[in-house]
Amino acid sequence: MIALEPSIKNRPEFINVRVRRQDGPGQKPYWELHKIKYEREMNVISVLQRIAAQATTVDGKKVTPVAWDCGCLEEVCGACTMVINGRVRQSCSALVDRLFEENADEIVLEPMTKFPVLRDLMVDRSRLFKALERVEGWVPVDSYYNLGPGERISREDQERNYPLSQCMSCGCCLEACPQFTKIELTRQEGETEEAFEARKKAEYDEAFVGPHAISQAMLFNNHPTGKALAAERLEALIGPGGISACGNAQNCVAVCPKEIPLTTSIARAGRATTLHAIKKWFDR
Amino acid sequence: MSELTRSQSIFVRHEFAIRRLHSLLGIVPLGLYMCIHLTTNASLLNGTETFQRAVYYIHSLGAALPLVEWGGIFLPLLFHAILGVWIIKTGKSNLGSYRFTGNKRYTWQRWTGLLAFVFLMFHVLHLHGWFHFGPWLAVMKPLGFANFYPYNAASSLAMAMDDWAWGLFWPAFYLIGVWATVFHLANGLWTAGITWGLWISPAAQERATKVCVAFGVLLTVIGTAAWWAAVAPGPAEIAQARETENEMYEAALKTGLVYDMPEKRYEAEEGTEAETDGAEAIIIEETIIVEPATEDSEEEAETETEPSEPAS
Repeated sequence: MIALEPSIKNRPEFINVRVRRQDGPGQKPYWELHKIKYEREMNVISVLQRIAAQATTVDGKKVTPVAWDCGCLEEVCGACTMVINGRVRQSCSALVDRLFEENADEIVLEPMTKFPVLRDLMVDRSRLFKALERVEGWVPVDSYYNLGPGERISREDQERNYPLSQCMSCGCCLEACPQFTKIELTRQEGETEEAFEARKKAEYDEAFVGPHAISQAMLFNNHPTGKALAAERLEALIGPGGISACGNAQNCVAVCPKEIPLTTSIARAGRATTLHAIKKWFDR
Repeated sequence: MSELTRSQSIFVRHEFAIRRLHSLLGIVPLGLYMCIHLTTNASLLNGTETFQRAVYYIHSLGAALPLVEWGGIFLPLLFHAILGVWIIKTGKSNLGSYRFTGNKRYTWQRWTGLLAFVFLMFHVLHLHGWFHFGPWLAVMKPLGFANFYPYNAASSLAMAMDDWAWGLFWPAFYLIGVWATVFHLANGLWTAGITWGLWISPAAQERATKVCVAFGVLLTVIGTAAWWAAVAPGPAEIAQARETENEMYEAALKTGLVYDMPEKRYEAEEGTEAETDGAEAIIIEETIIVEPATEDSEEEAETETEPSEPAS
């Protein structure tokens, strides 16, 4: 967490907040300027609460409250991720006093650009979770019977795995990745919900999985129980939109709020898929 | 439509293998070939003979040379370049929002790749001509392409560089092209190391960056030397080089070092090359200095002959 700033001298009286709004999926986005009274130790969530409470733009026009998403308010759930002053991050841990160091005039809030907008600052991150399903980012335990105590995990593996386990599926890495491009489908007339979901899944499954999913695959491939699915995960990474779609821009690791070594995972996945492909070639 | 989707799915199914092949071809043969090529060309700085010997060695492959050129260079290059353009289209640079070094390298890798593609296509056309096929060359040569004659390596190379826009266009084009290609190779070597899983930890990737930078700087020096060796010679040096080459050719032919392939010689005319070339050099110098005078004398000659025409 970023420390509070009690030493600031020139505190402003008001805060200008520019918000990129959108009334619904597929609608035209527009900008709105809001002005709220400055308070000490605000974060972007509390700024958004003030904006929602007054629901009036700087011109005095009454508007619907700006919609946003949030959950834990302590940077572990990832729900409140948005683009703040042009950089993707969590609004709960984006402190206003720190944002003034970047831009003293105003705070600019935008929804993430790589996911379909539901309304204002809320986006549909389901593709992110579909990617985790694709790489089977879990430990296969059915819990119908007692499996006994788990295998001992060496200290070395613990230290390698713990940082990867901190991923909160926020989507920062995907927002900053130049190889992860937006997919936004709209439900066609007469299409059932199931057919639409299937069409979305098919589309998502051929597109880039993203660094978060590659990293989770590497986490569970290095887990004593999780590695039972290692070959399946590598198959997924060799498949369409897998590891080879990475362009090595390394933005993911630079923007990750949890400082997860995503590019280390990507390189590890590169090595694992190389060996897996060679093994597969000679085994068949 | 079904044909299209089927071909797409074949590509998608084998995307991993195709992209690993793309990565591999960028290093071997293309990167390796580029190192050899630039070093060979830089050897021209040591003298016409050194370079000519190297070219003889390459052309000692004789009839097998086109196979090596196509199989080992052109086709891998086309595959790498065309797939590269497709790869560029799968991404969307966001350098404006995220000005990280890695992101700059990502974007430059794509721009230098495109530049290298354009450069190399024109470079091969300019000197090699793409196809050594009579009717094709009959069209391309007058257009100022297919200028390289392996048995007159240094002289035909230097002359080709002087071709367009008062000898400014090609040197500028080659310098930018060589630098872009060197960046693309050095940075591509680094990304390939990640792709194949050679360097994994951030510390290892940092060390690999240093090695790739050193490699890139070295190849830039070699490449720039090769460029300078090709663009520096003036008319007198070119004539001198041709004389040397023709002497070497006579000797090489006698000792069986080269094949008698007249199409690989500049103006494949028989006779005493040394003498004619010496004369040519003088003519070149004369035309440069005395050009206005000769034009005047021609006009005078015309006006003098005009009145006499009706009489005859």
